[in-house]
Amino acid sequence: MFKNLLVVLFGVYLAATFGYLVHTLWRRPVIARLSLLLVGAGVMLQTALLAHRWWAAGYLPVTNLFATLFFFSWSLALIYLYFELRYRIRATGLFVMLLNLALLGGALPRNTAVSPLIPALDTPLFSLHIIFSFVGYAFFAMAFSIGALYLCQVRLQTDLLPDLATLRRINEEAIFLGFGLFTLCMVAGSLWAHIAWGHWFSWNIKSVWSILVWIFYAGMCHAKFVRRWQGSVYAWLSIAGFGIVIFTYLGIGLLLESNHPLE
Amino acid sequence: MDIPAAHTKSWPRRLWEFGCSLKLAIVLASLATLLIMGGSLVMHFNPGVFGGMDRQTMGVWLPWAWQQSPHLVWWVPLSGICLALLGVNTLCCLIDWILTFTRRWRKTGEYLIHTGFILLVIAYLWGSLAGYRSGPHAIFPGERLDIPKMPGLVLHLEEFAPRFSAQGQPLDMVNRVALWQNDQLIARTELRINHPLLYDGLVILPTSLGQALTGFRFHLPPRGFVNLEAGSRLELDNGTILSIDKLLADARQTSSGGIIPLSDRLGNPAMQVTLLAPSGRSWQGWYFLRGRPPAAMVDAGALLQPIEPIFRTYSLLTVNRDPAGKLALIGSLCLSIGVVLAFFSFYRKRSRGDRPEV
Ligand code: HEM
Repeated sequence: MFKNLLVVLFGVYLAATFGYLVHTLWRRPVIARLSLLLVGAGVMLQTALLAHRWWAAGYLPVTNLFATLFFFSWSLALIYLYFELRYRIRATGLFVMLLNLALLGGALPRNTAVSPLIPALDTPLFSLHIIFSFVGYAFFAMAFSIGALYLCQVRLQTDLLPDLATLRRINEEAIFLGFGLFTLCMVAGSLWAHIAWGHWFSWNIKSVWSILVWIFYAGMCHAKFVRRWQGSVYAWLSIAGFGIVIFTYLGIGLLLESNHPLE
Repeated sequence: MDIPAAHTKSWPRRLWEFGCSLKLAIVLASLATLLIMGGSLVMHFNPGVFGGMDRQTMGVWLPWAWQQSPHLVWWVPLSGICLALLGVNTLCCLIDWILTFTRRWRKTGEYLIHTGFILLVIAYLWGSLAGYRSGPHAIFPGERLDIPKMPGLVLHLEEFAPRFSAQGQPLDMVNRVALWQNDQLIARTELRINHPLLYDGLVILPTSLGQALTGFRFHLPPRGFVNLEAGSRLELDNGTILSIDKLLADARQTSSGGIIPLSDRLGNPAMQVTLLAPSGRSWQGWYFLRGRPPAAMVDAGALLQPIEPIFRTYSLLTVNRDPAGKLALIGSLCLSIGVVLAFFSFYRKRSRGDRPEV
């Protein structure tokens, strides 16, 4: 049943992405609006699925790759809705939803079973650590998309996308909010490490790269004050930052081994 | 003639401005990022040097690792220096900022974020130099452990009850402990995973469990079953006293007849046995349990047949101390509250066009 609903969800997001593509190619505002409605419906369905899994498991089920990809995708869709409703970012939806499809597509073939919670993960600090981490990542993913589109807009100067100043503002906002949430993720993680291992910072490769993500985005919160960096440089930095995020989230688990409790 | 402003500034002023510069912050943060990025891969592929990093504080690990392989480790102090300088840089900015900005309360969030980072840098350095990590200490229920470097402080393990899953995997380690300072009870609590004992910078937490061989169950015809461990005495039917002097879980006999203990794990167990006959004649020798008892034992009627080992479970506890733990906690609180406040001030600053530019 859950797997079927997951396929339906994927179909809804796919249809929305297709609608954005049609709008981008043939400029059909009605279809763009319909796509937005589909994203809204998808987010509602995904929220219901997440809430049901949470309720059934008795804890936020984000302990394996399927669950984190699913949660990441949900956060990204929600954040996209926020930016779309606030700034009307139009064809930007195509890029963000493609990214979302990649996340959900990565989750689809995986085992969806919820495993029982081991005592090491049985603490609210764990849930907070994960929630803040993936909502933060989703903001960074949003900043990545906006950064890439900023570079497109520099060349295309199209009215399908918001103007450069708006893209810059959205990018800065996504990075600031992402940094704030990721800071809370690091705080929850340190408190948890303190009570679980007896030291609040661990030199395992995942924690080290999380610090890198944090320092990088702290730097980004200031890079926007450097006048010469405010345009394309900032956009490129947003793309590079997301590269670090993806390596921290997926690269370490897939390419290297880590003793982080979620590996 | 106009003299450029920079030339009219005194050098302390210029030094201060350098300390407050955002560009310096970006250079330091970028340098630290690049160093740690490369270093993390060096770390990953050299577990012999870096694997024990979490078992020691940085203050203990770094000098050791530096002696072993300075060519693999140099990036650690260098990135540490960059981050410490970034802390100083942030402090200068914070002071400069507090002194120059009007309506400061509006930026309380940003102040708190910067203060939090400075406190965390100080707490890490302080904890690395003045703290320690010890263990895991093996303790049997009922035993006491002297807390390292805190004279008079003793931990008493009153009860140990590990919990296992249906498949037999350890799930939780429930340790009932009491902490005593010179015979005065300080705390009595239950340690479990994610529930350590925190006291004066100490973190005492359960790590795992182990089993130690304490004896063996034997069949002794015609008497039946007997349990023997080091120190046991048994009177045989002919009046001979059999006593167990030593028990080794894993041992080997050398060509010269000496006995060498090999490990604490059950391998080739051996007992040192003394027989004291009613006549006063005595014999002492080693009995390797995987073979037949020595002739002297057979002659005395001690035809022991080992049935199963007897183990006793012990708890493995980690005892760490970080005197800067509270400071780190305050730093984290500053960061968290600061972030929440900055979420509001971000939009307020944006609507007012309040934004520094360099
Ligand atoms: C790792 C250390 C640091 C962290 C985590 C950090 C974090 C932040 C954050 C989150 C903001 C708010 C950005 C915004 O409102 O858009 C900020 C603003 C600022 N930071 Fe930092 N910062 C750090 C180090 C520094 C340093 C070293 C300097 C000085 C060179 C500095 C100077 C500033 C300034 C001038 C602002 C602008 C405040 C305003 O809105 O008027 N920060 N910082």
